[in-house]
Amino acid sequence: MVEERIFSNLMRELKAGKFVFTGELEPGKEGSIETTIEAARKLLGQVTACNVTDNPQSFGCVNSLAAAFMVQKETGMECICQLRCSDKNRLALLSDVLAAGLLGIKNILAITGDYVSLGDTPDVKPVYDLDSTLLTRMIRMIVDEGKDFRGNEIRNPPKLHVGVAANPGSEFLDMEVYKLKRKVKAGAEFVQTQVVFLPEVVDRFFAKVKEVGGIDIPILIGIFPAKSYAEAKFFHEQVSGVIVPEDYMAKLKETKEIKDKEKRKERIDQINIEYFTGFLEHLKSTPAAGCHIMAVGYPEIIPELRKVVA
Amino acid sequence: MMGQTQKPLEEILKYLNGRRKIVLMGCGGCATIFHTGDPEAIDRMAEALSKNGKEIIAKIKLPFGVFCCYLPMSSQFLKMHQKDLEAADAILMMSCGDGTQAVRSYLDNEMGIVKPIFSANNALGFVGEGPANFIEKCLGCGDCVLPETAGICPLTQCAKGLLNGPCGGTTPDGKCEVDPEKDCAWLQIFRRLEKIGELDKFAEIRTPKDWSKATRPRRLSVEPLDLMAKLKELKNTLVSMGV
Repeated sequence: MVEERIFSNLMRELKAGKFVFTGELEPGKEGSIETTIEAARKLLGQVTACNVTDNPQSFGCVNSLAAAFMVQKETGMECICQLRCSDKNRLALLSDVLAAGLLGIKNILAITGDYVSLGDTPDVKPVYDLDSTLLTRMIRMIVDEGKDFRGNEIRNPPKLHVGVAANPGSEFLDMEVYKLKRKVKAGAEFVQTQVVFLPEVVDRFFAKVKEVGGIDIPILIGIFPAKSYAEAKFFHEQVSGVIVPEDYMAKLKETKEIKDKEKRKERIDQINIEYFTGFLEHLKSTPAAGCHIMAVGYPEIIPELRKVVA
Repeated sequence: MMGQTQKPLEEILKYLNGRRKIVLMGCGGCATIFHTGDPEAIDRMAEALSKNGKEIIAKIKLPFGVFCCYLPMSSQFLKMHQKDLEAADAILMMSCGDGTQAVRSYLDNEMGIVKPIFSANNALGFVGEGPANFIEKCLGCGDCVLPETAGICPLTQCAKGLLNGPCGGTTPDGKCEVDPEKDCAWLQIFRRLEKIGELDKFAEIRTPKDWSKATRPRRLSVEPLDLMAKLKELKNTLVSMGV
């Protein structure tokens, strides 16, 4: 009997066909981790696992492996450790993958990473020795074959899964889906997508996936319940391929008029629950395997949204 | 060719501080195309330095087609100026770093003239097109991927140099997240592969780059050119073209 290749709760639930929620934690530019651990505690029981970002938007922050280790140790929340190629060559990335194994991390999200000039240290030398496809391939070679790219042996290879990103809102969906198929060929085991607001974007994406012969790994669609009008506006204007609906933006904009902080927050929660309840109901009718909720600093919204698919 | 721009005069004067007798040397290759080492640029530099108290004791102007980095040709001009070079307090090279170093090496090792030598230009890498606008096209990585990428180099055209792009930063109008004026290289590659019926190449995984081929300094050995035969060939071609 072939041993089932499952190393994490995330993969166990995905393979079992459950509709899986994942969350996101963003360790800061600080020498402490308490805020992140506190955020993880609030997400316990609400999500199966949490992404831990790696220098998000090219802002130098706490190492994602160290943060993920601390979160898992202190809270028991399973982590999906993000690893980006912007800052490390294949030697450093290999070291990180081995370290992840030692630290008990069971999932890695392999990403290329924003260009360094977008962050707070724009004069830094970018690396990009690998890209997300090659990092995915390298992780699978390490885990499955106990080898690096050169064929050098790795004793006691770590047991972990590798996921990748995709952008359903890409203007160039043909290319996006071809690229995703290439990542699957490289060994990707799950997909977490860029933020989507419009149900039709999800439909268009899955139709294209079907058109190219399907993708046989679970796809979790990313959502972003905005805590403010400014956040929604940022996504709409700055993040490639993300269209935030006008009516949602308009409702958030109106909350700026509410002087009472508590009442304003209540109204924003209500707007998000109304909007994303409908979105999640739609998502349940698609081939999506789950939902990646990027509600950094907004964990209280997740239980409300989860009721939809309870 | 090697793209280049001239350094600010203040920077050049800083290098020449305390040195009065100067030999200027240009280049009939890339530096002529970029107006950083042609005879006119040398005259402009001579005038500017003279105004700043320097004595220009020689202007070594190389005709178009004579690259100062190619010693079989440029050394003839160095030999013609042996006395000037010996008398100079410093040599200012109006060429790229290749030219400056090739000439420095020849002076040191073949002519026994060891002098302070400075580059007046900043080299910007391999560029192509022209006559007015140029873009970096080739990294000189030593492991060309163009056969796999529809003749568009992702290492230079993609800001991240990705072998399996694009990244997630292609803007809705097909530009690059790093520079909204620049086309996404991988979108260009995808579209070109589609047009030539080779989209299957896009789906292939390009393996990690062998950067050992770019370990510096790289060296090459070839059979030397028959220079006179090549010059005759050039002359005949120009004549046949009516030039």
